[in-house]
Order: sequence, then structure tokens, then C-alpha cells
Amino acid sequence: MRPSVLHRQNRPWHNLVAPFKPLTKSSWSYIYWFPTVFVVSYYFYNIKIVSGRSMQPTLNPDSSLWRDVGLFNRYAIHTKLEFKRGDIVALRSPEDPTRVLVKRIVALAGDRVTTLPPYPDPVILVPQGKAWIEGDEPFHSDDSNRFGPVPLSLIESRLVAVVWPPSRFGHLYRPTSVDQDTSTPHKHSAYRLAMAELERQRWRNNRVTVVPRSLP
Amino acid sequence: MSGPSMLPTLAASGEVVVEDRLSLRLNPASLARGDLIVVRSPIDPTAIVCKRVIGLPGDVVCVDPTGLKAPSTEHVLVPKGHVWICGDNMTHSRDSRDYGPVPIALIRSKLFARVLPLKDRIIFRNPMRVLD
Repeated sequence: MRPSVLHRQNRPWHNLVAPFKPLTKSSWSYIYWFPTVFVVSYYFYNIKIVSGRSMQPTLNPDSSLWRDVGLFNRYAIHTKLEFKRGDIVALRSPEDPTRVLVKRIVALAGDRVTTLPPYPDPVILVPQGKAWIEGDEPFHSDDSNRFGPVPLSLIESRLVAVVWPPSRFGHLYRPTSVDQDTSTPHKHSAYRLAMAELERQRWRNNRVTVVPRSLP
Repeated sequence: MSGPSMLPTLAASGEVVVEDRLSLRLNPASLARGDLIVVRSPIDPTAIVCKRVIGLPGDVVCVDPTGLKAPSTEHVLVPKGHVWICGDNMTHSRDSRDYGPVPIALIRSKLFARVLPLKDRIIFRNPMRVLD
């Protein structure tokens, strides 16, 4: 008998593995890269598509045809545990464990917040280990004004920048001051948008009283 | 494991337990009253706590039958998406009686078994019985 016939037919397990062989050949690269991708997305950075109106006009404005795709930083939250007021974060919803919300941290533990309807109390002191989160669009937002302060442990990652659509690339305006450039006409749309963002930030910050905490 | 809040089920220190992370991810509905669960602390983002599930969403739970932290007639309705947890050692446990119902998203895993010390090895079973 020819050696090649011996080769195939005297190994019965070949018949079991043979149908799967094309599968493993093409998916080997998936198996190979899966641990790296998993570690990077769980411990460092990952990408999420943001849907909904609750963060308008910062994210998903009506002027954009696409839903914003954002780059989220896991390292800052999971490892460094850095929570700052004004950060846009992704967190698990306390009402529905399968939903991820993207909202802004308005106040941290120890601060007093003037709440918006439908919250029952007009002013609240945020308890230890919790944060007050709000969406930038108060009417369409499912946030702390509905379910109260959320535990910091629910927060998963922090938004770094918007990566899609290209026209909104990097759009996370953090206005601390507006350039008083008198040569630019004040009707320029960038100036108006910047002023509007500054106004919103001031309105948010006015509702939060940061109680100074004595250092140990 | 450390801490006296789960005596006599779990000792205050020196025990090693195995947690089961997969069954709650594959079947979230398998969370039952009486399960031992590991939860990320709602008051401290760095801490994890091990307690027992007493109430599921929609249950009316007696806040503190011992009367230590609340009058024993006080009851609470567990809101949607939350569970009520309680330590087995109710005199020395900081649990839902202190910080209220805990969101289900904070649950990390169920406790599967204790492996050390070897003489006390056991697979944890749900001890709840419904009284009619």
C-alpha cells in the first residue's frame, strides 16, 4: 500500500477534526489576539458608541448625522480611581444592570447639590463613596435627578475624546476661559458655541457647593 | 476572607474561598434569595464585601429583625435593579441596613466553595426554605 493512504485512513480521529480544520485556520488569529484585545479594553482604553439625547449638545448633537463614538479611559477609573467633577463617564445603570449610561459627574461625596425635578429634595448632601451624575440635557436625561446619587463603584470609564464622526473628532470642549480676542467679530459661530458651553458649565457649577474638607 | 460579618458561615479570618464569576454572567436570573455573593462596596470603590442576598427587586424586606439599626417593624420595598444584602452575623455587619439596597450591577460573583482550611471544605448551598 502507498504510504499516503496509510497516513490518512489509519488515524480515525482525523474524520472528527477534519470539518473543523478550516474554522481553526481562519480563526487562529482571533484566538491569538483575543487576550491582548481583552486586556487593553478592560484595563486601558475602549471604544463605545454613545446613543441618546441625554448629553446634548456635548455629545450626539442634532447637527450631526452620526452617533458619536467615544474613546473611554478605563485605566483612570479602574486603576487610579481618579474621579473629577466635570468628567464625562460611562457607568452601569443602577436601575438596569445591563445598561451603560454616559453622563457627567457634577458633584462628589461631601458636596451639596441643588437638584432638578423630579428629585424630591431641593438640596442634597452627596453621601460618602457616591457621586451625583447628570446628563447635559436635563429634560431627556436618566440621571441622579431620577435615582439619586450613585456609588462610585458603578462608574466604569471616563470619556477622553470623540473619535467618530471625523468632523467632531476630539470634541470635548472644556472651557475654562474664552479668548477675549477683540479682533474676531463676536458673531463668529465658534465664539457663540464656546460662550454657550461656558454658560452651561457655569450653570452646572453654580448648583454645586463644594464643602471644603479639612485635610487629615 | 476577612471580617466577622459572616460568622458562623465564614470565619473572621484565615479562610480561602472560591468565587464563581461565570454563572451570574451567563444567567443573571439565577440570583436567588439566600445566595452568598461578593459585591463591590457601594460606599468605597476600592473595597469588596461578601454578604447574603435577602431581597430581590420588588420584595418587601424587614430592614432589621434584631432591632439594632432600625425598629423591627420597619419594612422597605427593594427597588428595581437592586438587591437587599445582609451579613449572617447581624450584630457585626455593615450591610444594606446601613447603606440601603445595592444595585445589581455591583455584584461581582457568587461564592462557590470554601477550600481552606481543609477540614472545613464545603460547597456552599442555598439554605433558604420558604415557610408557608
